[in-house]
Amino acid sequence: MTVDGIRLGRKLFYDPILSVDSTVSCATCHQQALSFTDGLDRSQGVAGMTRRGSLSLINVGFHYDGLFWDGRSPNLEHLSLIPPEDPIEMAETWDNVELKLRNHPVYPTDFRQAFGIDNVSGIDRHLAAKAISQFLRTIVSGHNSRYDRFVRGEIFLEENEFNGYLMFFNIDPSLPDAQCGHCHNAPLMATNDYFNNGLQESPDLYSFPDPGLGAITGIASDNGRFKPPTLRNLVFTAPYMHDGRFKTLPEVVDHYASGGKESPNKSSFMFNLVLTESQKADILAFLLTLTDSTTLTNPAFKNPF
Amino acid sequence: MRPFILLAVTAFVVGFISCKEDNPEGTLTLHFKAVYDGQPLQTFTTHPFEGIQQIQFTHLSMMVADLQLVKGSAVKDLDDIELVDLSFDNLAAAEAGYTLTIPNVATGSYDGIKFGLGVPPDLNQKKPADFSSGSPLSKTGYYWVAWNSYIFSKTEGRLDTLGNGTLDLGFAMHTGSDALYRAGQGTIPIVIEEGKTTNMNVLLDYKDLLQGVDIKSHPQNHTQSDTSEIVKIVNNYGTSITLSL
Ligand code: HEC
Ligand code: HEC
Repeated sequence: MTVDGIRLGRKLFYDPILSVDSTVSCATCHQQALSFTDGLDRSQGVAGMTRRGSLSLINVGFHYDGLFWDGRSPNLEHLSLIPPEDPIEMAETWDNVELKLRNHPVYPTDFRQAFGIDNVSGIDRHLAAKAISQFLRTIVSGHNSRYDRFVRGEIFLEENEFNGYLMFFNIDPSLPDAQCGHCHNAPLMATNDYFNNGLQESPDLYSFPDPGLGAITGIASDNGRFKPPTLRNLVFTAPYMHDGRFKTLPEVVDHYASGGKESPNKSSFMFNLVLTESQKADILAFLLTLTDSTTLTNPAFKNPF
Repeated sequence: MRPFILLAVTAFVVGFISCKEDNPEGTLTLHFKAVYDGQPLQTFTTHPFEGIQQIQFTHLSMMVADLQLVKGSAVKDLDDIELVDLSFDNLAAAEAGYTLTIPNVATGSYDGIKFGLGVPPDLNQKKPADFSSGSPLSKTGYYWVAWNSYIFSKTEGRLDTLGNGTLDLGFAMHTGSDALYRAGQGTIPIVIEEGKTTNMNVLLDYKDLLQGVDIKSHPQNHTQSDTSEIVKIVNNYGTSITLSL
């Protein structure tokens, strides 16, 4: 990572030059003010709606067991090549993007500074993807949330938040185990693993409307499994789940409390949790301690144009 | 078939077999396999369990640590830590098992193999953030915050508690914490020949592993006070693991 590489990556991230009609940039669907999501059930590209909802990009550099809801991309360099050529998202071709970048008044200088190339013909998709990835890896968030300050011993949580914390990670045997920590573990509040958290009903392993990971691995028992996204900055990332089916966090907590819909590979951690309304409210209060709004205003992540 | 005998986990000094640069070498390939009552264990298939109950497994995995070849009282270190995932939903994959290939093993005749099940105490003091992304110990899904410990093994599935064909109870038996680390040794003649691969099977029979474990009343153990059933599991390693060439 270099300062010039990150600077170039940030420009490319915010520049609609990557799309066919210069209307959509990465930031269209990954907005800083929404913790790098877009507030939609499914994202709006140049040619309609995407199949699934946008994912937050905070701490994305630490997700190394697959990117996207179904893990189909192994790393950021690989992933960054995909949206520009996705027929719905940006509908452009890299051949054309390369031409646009080479003929641009400023980008050739940016690429030279970032990668030391001595000729515009050296500008290509792989260097662009490298620069974007460098920028994405800088989007780190966490230090300033109440949860992190609590973990560092700087503050106490309120009683209801603390109760929620105890249930989330099952620390106090006298309270119900809310099971969350198995799949959303500290510090990312995610795991690099894939689970069926009971969103889709299916009588067998083959009838999930969206097979998720299974479509990628070809393994039947992976059908219906998805990547648990980070729970950091949830207040800004509604609606929730890969299809945006829950508009609010209380709906999410109700889903987990109920144990979700049945299917053969639904996780063993998903069952009726028998939580009281006040315990659900405590879990909700804990989730809100994961808010770090400084990420949303950090000038290093802002639109540079 | 040779048994795998659990050892008291004590620090004793043993000689190390050093590997000289020009020594001839071969490869040792270990095939870890899950079986149930002696048959290859496929996830998402149902098997008889205690009394009228039926059991179906959905996830089977464990950390295998400090793998060593034994020759007399000396040992050769082969591998620090490996996440052995035995969750296979099709028969061919279940029969093949999880393969761990160890190249560059000095040729010769060895008396057996030694390994630990779980994460040894020195490594268990650490956290996923201390490891780079290639290491199994970087996996946050294998760290349990409330225990300050890695999860040593996961055995998950569903139980038909009434014997009526409905899998009515999900279970997740996760082991962890220093006190539950187990190490063992199997005496089996292993010959490593120059440029050749020696195969060895490590079979784990989940029927024996769950012998005496009351899943129905303890489908989960997640509090440090509630370890009765998972202690049985780790103590059953000795009777559930067998080695063969
Ligand atoms: C039209 C909207 C749209 C545009 C434009 C877009 N994305 Fe996305 N992005 C999404 C959606 C939707 C997902 C989730 C898709 C899925 O998982 O199937 C996603 C997922 C991702 C992820 C995965 C995050 C994770 O945790 O796995 C990364 C990284 C990402 N996008 C980066 C980019 C970059 C870089 C660009 C520009 C080159 C870009 N996106 C352009 C909508 C968009
Ligand atoms: C079995 C694993 C598992 C457990 C247990 C679990 N989650 Fe999740 N969680 C997931 C997965 C997988 C997703 C993504 C599912 C999808 O959209 O397909 C998810 C998504 C979410 C989302 C949506 C995030 C977003 O940005 O869309 C929230 C919020 C959430 N979980 C909160 C919780 C809470 C609170 C608990 C405990 C009450 C919990 N989870 C327990 C696996 C789990």
